Amino acid sequence: MIPTLTTDRLVLRPNRPADFDAYAAFYASDRARLRGGVKTRAEAFVQFAAEIGHWDLRGYGFWAVEETATGAYCGQVGLWYPEGWAEREVGWMVVADKEGQGIALEAALAARAYAYDTLGWPEVFSCIADGNTRSIALAERMGARFDRRHPRDGQADHLVYRHPAPAEVIR
Amino acid sequence: MIAIPTLTTDRLTLRAPHIDDFDALAAFYASPRASFVGGPLTAELSWRVLAQEAGHWLLRGFGRWVVEHRASGAPIGIVGLWFPAGFPEHELGWDLFEGHEGQGYATEAAHAARSYAYDMLGWTTLISLVADGNDASTRVARRLGARPDGRFTYERFGDMAVWRHPAPSEVAA
Repeated sequence: MIPTLTTDRLVLRPNRPADFDAYAAFYASDRARLRGGVKTRAEAFVQFAAEIGHWDLRGYGFWAVEETATGAYCGQVGLWYPEGWAEREVGWMVVADKEGQGIALEAALAARAYAYDTLGWPEVFSCIADGNTRSIALAERMGARFDRRHPRDGQADHLVYRHPAPAEVIR
Repeated sequence: MIAIPTLTTDRLTLRAPHIDDFDALAAFYASPRASFVGGPLTAELSWRVLAQEAGHWLLRGFGRWVVEHRASGAPIGIVGLWFPAGFPEHELGWDLFEGHEGQGYATEAAHAARSYAYDMLGWTTLISLVADGNDASTRVARRLGARPDGRFTYERFGDMAVWRHPAPSEVAA
């Protein structure tokens, strides 16, 4: 069962089939280059299905981020740890027309609080492709600090950022 | 999450994918047997496949089951109903893991999945896509009564033969 989280402006809810068009549009754009790579619609579909299925395999995963006021789909934010990942991470993706409004930050704080308070994780990281300066800036706004570099097969290295521990996070 | 149904046949149980199936799936995708279904794949990518099998159920309301050999409890394959973006229509697919060939398991599981599609979901037709050179899979398609029906290119796996299954009225219940 996938829980629903709410913040001031957002609802983090389970993905629905209707989210896929916006998700695929993000992956068709150059902005996906540093988030797993640009994908055709067929490739995006299996990635989208894998994000949803991650909940079944791990018991946590990505939520769809929805703007409460408009009901608009804004992107994917959540907790991610597939095979081969450096660490359990809080990750984010925001579609083009919802950028620059602090949506990823607001949703990622809720996801991190869920990891600490509900799942009882002692630590969480963010694994960010080298060169993704926007995501690095967001991780740093959340108080995360660079921990190490994680090489990856055929893709940009991940820069692994360690978030402040549960006791250090101001709520 | 959608509740994934369990199907049983004489020798097999078709059930929801589970994290414990990962080793068997990764071994299959690391083997040459997977060359007809987008492989070989690294363990990392095999994990994504397992996740996507589970996620497909939520997105479409149907999907593929892990086939378990009931006597041993071993996962021996992935069989079921598949309709990712880029497919021409609903497909019945079967991937049998190494060491379980030649005993009719794929046919037995695929038969149960087809019955589910026709009897429970009310579908009126079904195809299977088989890569050239995948003779074992072609034999399964024939045994299920499917007939060649042109070709289709899936951008992720390449050009494949389309096999059309008999309609519900032609399938002995």
